[in-house]
Amino acid sequence: MNPELIFLIPLLPLLGAVINMVFGRRLPRPVSTGLAVAGVALATLLVLALWPYAGGGGTTIEFYTWFEASGLSVPLILWFDRLSASMALMVAGVSTLIHVYCLGYMVKEKDYVRFFALLNLFVFAMLVIVMAGDLLVLFLGWEGVGFCSYALIGFWYQEEKNAEAGQKAFLMTRAADVFLLIAILWLFRIFGTFSIPDILGRTDLIPAAAVTPIVLLLLAGACGKSAQFPFMSWLPDAMAGPTPVSALIHAATMVTAGVYLLCRLFPLVAVSPQGMAAIALVGTISAVYAALCALAQDEIKRVLAYSTMSQVGFMFLGVGAGALSGAVFHLYTHAFFKSLLFLGAGCVVLLSGGNNIHRMDLTPRGNPLVFWTFLVGSLALAGAPLTSGFFSKDAILMSVFSRGPYFYQLLWLLGSLTAFLTALYTFRLIYLVFWGNKNGGSGAPSVPFTMRVVLPLLAVPAMFAGLLNLPALFGGSERFSLFLEGSDAVQTLVSHRQELMLTTLAVAVFACGWLVSHGFFRKRSAPRDNALSRFLGNGFYIDQLVERFIQRPFRALARFWQRATEQMIFGGFFSGLGKMALGSGQVVRRMQTGRLSTYLGSFAWGLLFLVGYFLWCVLRG
Amino acid sequence: MNIPFNHLLVIAFLLFLMGLGSILVRRNVIRVLIGVEIMLNAAGLVLVGSSALWSRVDGQLFAVFLMAIEAAEVALALALVIYLRRRKGTLNINAFNEMRG
Repeated sequence: MNPELIFLIPLLPLLGAVINMVFGRRLPRPVSTGLAVAGVALATLLVLALWPYAGGGGTTIEFYTWFEASGLSVPLILWFDRLSASMALMVAGVSTLIHVYCLGYMVKEKDYVRFFALLNLFVFAMLVIVMAGDLLVLFLGWEGVGFCSYALIGFWYQEEKNAEAGQKAFLMTRAADVFLLIAILWLFRIFGTFSIPDILGRTDLIPAAAVTPIVLLLLAGACGKSAQFPFMSWLPDAMAGPTPVSALIHAATMVTAGVYLLCRLFPLVAVSPQGMAAIALVGTISAVYAALCALAQDEIKRVLAYSTMSQVGFMFLGVGAGALSGAVFHLYTHAFFKSLLFLGAGCVVLLSGGNNIHRMDLTPRGNPLVFWTFLVGSLALAGAPLTSGFFSKDAILMSVFSRGPYFYQLLWLLGSLTAFLTALYTFRLIYLVFWGNKNGGSGAPSVPFTMRVVLPLLAVPAMFAGLLNLPALFGGSERFSLFLEGSDAVQTLVSHRQELMLTTLAVAVFACGWLVSHGFFRKRSAPRDNALSRFLGNGFYIDQLVERFIQRPFRALARFWQRATEQMIFGGFFSGLGKMALGSGQVVRRMQTGRLSTYLGSFAWGLLFLVGYFLWCVLRG
Repeated sequence: MNIPFNHLLVIAFLLFLMGLGSILVRRNVIRVLIGVEIMLNAAGLVLVGSSALWSRVDGQLFAVFLMAIEAAEVALALALVIYLRRRKGTLNINAFNEMRG
C-alpha cells in the first residue's frame, strides 16, 4: 500500500465529522450514524493495513506546509512509528467499539447528529496527537481533544451542572496547556525546529540548565490533560457527560494523552533525572490520592473516574521510572478494561435507573452478561493474577523497584499500597452493585443489542491482553516491549528470585484487598457518613482549597482593578472627555436653526468677509 | 463697438448683488431660485467678457458648461419645489425647518 495513505487515518474520522456537521440533519438516522461508525472503523482497518510502515524508524509523511514565515516553516507531518502505530490502533479500535455502543446508548437522543459529529471530531484530534510528527501539529490535536471534551461533557447543556462541569474541565486543562505551549516554544528556541524526530535525534544540543525546567513544563502540560496532581479535580466532574464519552475520552484515550506525550518525548525526558523523579512523584501522589478518594464515592461513575486518575498515575510512575514500554503497556490494557468498565457502568445505570451504588438492585443471576463482563473489567483493574491489568501493573512496579534505592523504592511501596486500595475499592464496587439488594432486579428495561454486543468484545482483550507482553517468569518473552523498543533481547531488570518475590507480593496484595473488601462490603451496610468518608468523598476538599486560595484572591484582585482602573481612569478621565464633547455639541447645535434664510444669510456674510479680506490684502500689498 | 471690460464688470457686479438681494430678502422658494440663477448668470457674464478680453476660448467654453449645469439644476430644483409644495402646502422657505439641531 502507498505510505501516503497514512494521512487517511486521521482524515477519515474528520470526514465523518464534517459530513455529519454539514448534512447530518438532512440525512436519515441510519446513514448519519453509520457514517460516523464507518469513518472510525475504516481508520482502524487502515492502521492494520499500514502496520508494516511502522517498522524500523517509522515512516514520516509530509502533507503540505501549514504555514511559512521568515525562517520558520511548519509542515503538516505525521510520524508513523511503533509507538504511534500501536497507540493509533488502540485509539481507533476502542473508538470503533464505543461508537457501536453509542448506537444503542443514544437511541432515544434527538440530538444524535451533534453527538456523533463531536465524537468523530474527537477521534480525529486524538489521532492527530498520536501521529503528529511536529510539536505544533501535536498541540493542534491537543487543543482539539480539549475542545471536544468540553463540548461532550456539557453535551446535555440544558442542565447547568453539566455545562459547568464542561467549563471546569476546559479551563483547568487550558491552564495546564499554557505550560505545554511554553515548553514547545522553548524547545523551538533551542533547536530551531518543531519536528519531533529532529528534536529527539539531537537531545545533546540542549543546555543542561534548560532540560529540567522543560521537562517540568511538559509534565505540567501532561498533568492537565491526564488529570494528575495538581490539575486533577476536573475529572470526577467530567462524569456529567454521557457514559460512552466518559469511556472514550475520560478513560481510554484523552486522559492518557499526557502519558503519551511524555513517552513520545521520552529520549528528551530521560536526559533529566530530576524531571523523571518529578514525573514519578506526581504519578504516585495522584495514584494514592485518587485510590483513597475512590473508596468513598457514592456514584458508580465517580468511582471509575477516580480509578482512572489512579491508573494514569501508575502510568506516570512507569514513565518516571524509565519503564517506557511498561507505561505504554499499562495504557493499552487500561484502555480496554476501563472502557469496558465504563460501558458496563452505562448498562448498569440503564438497568437500575440511577447512578448511586447504594441503591442498585442488580443481581449476577438476573443480568449475567453485564455481571460477567463487569467482573472481568474489575478483576483486570484490581490486578487479579493472569488478567491484563496484573501483568501491566506488575511490569511498572517491578521496574520502579529495580530503579534503585530509597526514593524509587519508597514510590514502589506507595504504588503497592495503591494496588491494595485498588483491589479494595474495586470489590466494594462489585459487592455494592451486584450484591447490594437481593430482592430487586425485576422488571428492568432491557439493554439494546448494540450496547450488549460490545461488552464481550472488550472483555476478551481486558482479560487476555497480558499475553501480548507475557514476562519470562510465565514463559513469555515480553513481545510488546520488544516491539516498542525495537530490540531483540529482553532486558533483565531484577534477578529471577526478586521477580518471583515481587510477583508473589502482587498476588498477595490483590488477595488482601479482596479479603478486606469482602469483610466490609459483602453484607450491605448503610453508606457511612463520618468526617473521614466526607473528606475522601469530596476529594480531600481540593475544590474548596482552590476556591479559597486561588479563585477568591483572583476575584479580589479583579475587583480591585475594576475599581482602580475601570471606574477611576475610564470612569473619571475618559467619561469626562466624552461629556465635554457632548456639552460642546449642545452649544453648537443652536446654530443649526433649520431655516434656509439663516444659512443663506451666513453665506452672504461669509462672502462679504472673504471679499473684504481679499480687498484688504490687495490694498495693503 | 467695444465695451470696456470695466463696464462689464460693473454690470456683472450689479447683477450679482440683485441676485443676492433676492435670495436674502425673498421668502418664496421660486424667487430664491430665480436669485440663484441671476447670480450664476452674472458669473457667466464675467467669464464670457474675460474670454473676449484675453482672446482665449476657455472662458466661453466654461460659460456653455455653466448653462448646461444650470439647466440640470433648475430641472432638479423645480421638481423639489413641487415635492415641497405638496408636503407643506406652502412655498415659504422658513416652513421647511426639519433640519433644526
